[in-house]
Amino acid sequence: MSPLKITTRDTATGPVLAILGDLDYAHAGELRDLLTTLTLRPGQHLVLDLAGMDFCDSSGITALIAAHHHAQAAHADIALAAVPANTLRILRIVGLDQIFPLHPDTESAARSTRPSR
Amino acid sequence: MRFGKLVGMDIARRNNVTVTGNPQGPTVVLAHGFGCDQNMWRLTVPALSERYRVVMFDYVGSGRSDLSAFSEARYSSLDGYARDVVEVCEALDLRDAVFVGHSVSAMIGVLAADLAPERIGALVMVAPSPRYIDDADYRGGFSAPDIDELLTSLESNYLGWSAAMAPVIMGNPERPELGDELKNSFCATDPDMARVFARTTFLSDSRDDLKSVRVPTLVLECTQDAIAPREVGAFVQRSIPGSTLITLDAIGHCPHLSAPEATNEAITGFLAGLR
Amino acid sequence: MCRTGRQTDPADPHPDTRTDTDPDTAAGTDTDTGTDVEADSGKASNAAFAALLEDSAEDLYESAPCGYLSMLMDGTIAKINTTLLDWLGLDREAVVGRMRFTDLLTVGGKLYHETHFAPLLRMQGRIGGIALEMKQADGARMPVLVSSVVKYGGGGEPLLIRTTVFDARDRRAYEEELLRGRKAAEEARRQAEADRARLQEALAVLQQSLLPATLPPVPGMETAAHYFTASPDRLGGDFYDVFPVDGKRFAFFLGDVCGKGPQAAAVTSLTRYTLRAAALHDSEPVAALSTLNKVLHERYSAGGDPRYCTAVFGVLEPDPATGQVTVRIASGGHPPALVLRADGTADFLPTPGGLLVGVLPDARFVAATTVLAPGDTLLLYTDGLTEARTGEDRDTLYGDEALRAFATEHAGRRPQAVIQALTGLLDEFGDGLDDDTALLALGVPASDPVPDPDPDPATKSTR
Repeated sequence: MSPLKITTRDTATGPVLAILGDLDYAHAGELRDLLTTLTLRPGQHLVLDLAGMDFCDSSGITALIAAHHHAQAAHADIALAAVPANTLRILRIVGLDQIFPLHPDTESAARSTRPSR
Repeated sequence: MRFGKLVGMDIARRNNVTVTGNPQGPTVVLAHGFGCDQNMWRLTVPALSERYRVVMFDYVGSGRSDLSAFSEARYSSLDGYARDVVEVCEALDLRDAVFVGHSVSAMIGVLAADLAPERIGALVMVAPSPRYIDDADYRGGFSAPDIDELLTSLESNYLGWSAAMAPVIMGNPERPELGDELKNSFCATDPDMARVFARTTFLSDSRDDLKSVRVPTLVLECTQDAIAPREVGAFVQRSIPGSTLITLDAIGHCPHLSAPEATNEAITGFLAGLR
Repeated sequence: MCRTGRQTDPADPHPDTRTDTDPDTAAGTDTDTGTDVEADSGKASNAAFAALLEDSAEDLYESAPCGYLSMLMDGTIAKINTTLLDWLGLDREAVVGRMRFTDLLTVGGKLYHETHFAPLLRMQGRIGGIALEMKQADGARMPVLVSSVVKYGGGGEPLLIRTTVFDARDRRAYEEELLRGRKAAEEARRQAEADRARLQEALAVLQQSLLPATLPPVPGMETAAHYFTASPDRLGGDFYDVFPVDGKRFAFFLGDVCGKGPQAAAVTSLTRYTLRAAALHDSEPVAALSTLNKVLHERYSAGGDPRYCTAVFGVLEPDPATGQVTVRIASGGHPPALVLRADGTADFLPTPGGLLVGVLPDARFVAATTVLAPGDTLLLYTDGLTEARTGEDRDTLYGDEALRAFATEHAGRRPQAVIQALTGLLDEFGDGLDDDTALLALGVPASDPVPDPDPDPATKSTR
């Protein structure tokens, strides 16, 4: 089990959160706490970079959904970048692949984010 | 229903039952009182062992009994201890045994004889008391606060117990013959169990049970017993139909230790008269 | 200690001879008079040294920092030192030859003496460090520590008892402190145990409210279920149920609430009863899940603490004429159901794209239909099964394909047998199975069914 580390980077289109380590029951709260402090302006693109995410359980999925709701409430968009294969499998099972735009990397995510709803 | 009951060997282990003396002789059961274990009968056994089969045991929570068998619920009444006696008698399949009980055990014997009349044929009550606390016209010798004080005494000795027992457990260098015998003697007993036994002993009132005794009974009292005053001995004798009272010229509550010859003589005389 | 010569009889009926030095009761007599030293160094210098100290065995005995007592075997006090008399506020004349040792004790101390101290002293000839309380003349009580030894005669007969008494007032206060602390700790422990027991009971009752005790008999079908609890302390978030919706149809569902513990259990409870109520209103599977979705979303989305579940909901419609059962299901974010056929095949019944229930105000759920013929069984499961970690290092997920292969092996068997086989599989996972797992099998028995050995089809297990 590796601890969670989240780095925030501001880009021209909006913030990029890089998630490193385990997004699980023990750590998912950190992402949700961070979201409450994250200011999004209407039309901005929030990108979650999951390239460094080792593990994501149902609590992690909940945190991703919280990020989705946070963006939606701010009239901003959200996209996931570089989703690991196992997480992608789970996202497909639970139908979230239709809610989150998925991109191979942050650059393409930032370029082509579309409204999530 | 017998199902689920402990069988003979388990009872023997639970109550640390020892059998000695003449295997062909009539059986005498020696039962220790509160604060003691079967070692208390050390000076009594030699006087009996030639003619009688002598059975001794430790109540659960005392001496070398199986402490894991202790249950606060069961041993919070004298009936629980009486069941120990009956179960020991059943395990050895005793019939018409003579039950010699010291102090609270004398009353436990009364209850056991009522529970299993076929097992117990006679009673010897050594320094008995059916009620330690004064009650109206009855004089037991103590007030309720006195008994509380004893419980406090037990508590305050809890911390000292391990130290007090160290020389005993390691053996007594001056009298090495006592060493083994006294290992795990009563002072090493779990203090919580001793407290339960003390409460049960000193807070019980068994006066009414005396009337139900139907077996030959000998009551032994001491001239000066700090625990059971003379009035109590007389009360017990009066209450048990046909019983005999002998006052031993002995000081203290343990005549079988402080005046063994006189005590043994009284017991053997009573036993001889039974047959 | 080495003694020589005949000593005065301590049991002397007139022992109160203050000017006598009684070697029996005066500790340290030999060394204090210096008999061993005399031989080596001059008698004069030694005597001068003793005189300088102004000490004597007599004075040491009387004024020692502890109490000394000698008593006859019946407890009658034959000799007592000044220190002890002063502590107790008693006159020597009132004590010696007139009082017994037990007369100096409180009633509680007396009882303790008679039941413990005296018998043990008799039996082992010595006893040390016993805590007793003595009565002082003014009615106060003095905690003391008492040690006694029995002096034996040449023939081994006990002659007298020598006793030392130490002032234990400070020590007793400290011990009482310790005892108070111990009692408080014990009370706290008892309370904690009671609380824990109450909590366990509450958890058990709640857990039972989340799952049906038994499944109702469904005409023409056999049902079986199993619930594996990964941790008895934590309420699980998996759920299932089977219930009648009208005269001929039955509904069923199985699902998994995100997370564990009380919050998850609350969602599970809400989910279970919402689905049951929704089905009575409109048993169309997509409609039932949509109702649940609205309820969960409305209840949980506002608080910033989204709660959701995955669920499969279905309706069974038996056709008595053919013995077949039409099954219509809808899935929201749940792994696909498996259909085990009488011909020995097993396949998933895909419901791709159904969304987690409760995430969005308007969610899409995907429906599917199949028909169960005699010998066919529908198997629903939660992802505890497929996400179980296998392999030496517990680093491989069991996965969909392994499950399908396992199901194929058991295709054609009755639901009860299928659940039994899967329960065995869960056992084999050992500690690789760390999530709750619910299993529900609904099947149409083949025309010549094997008798069911277990009348209660619902089984539960914990590890």
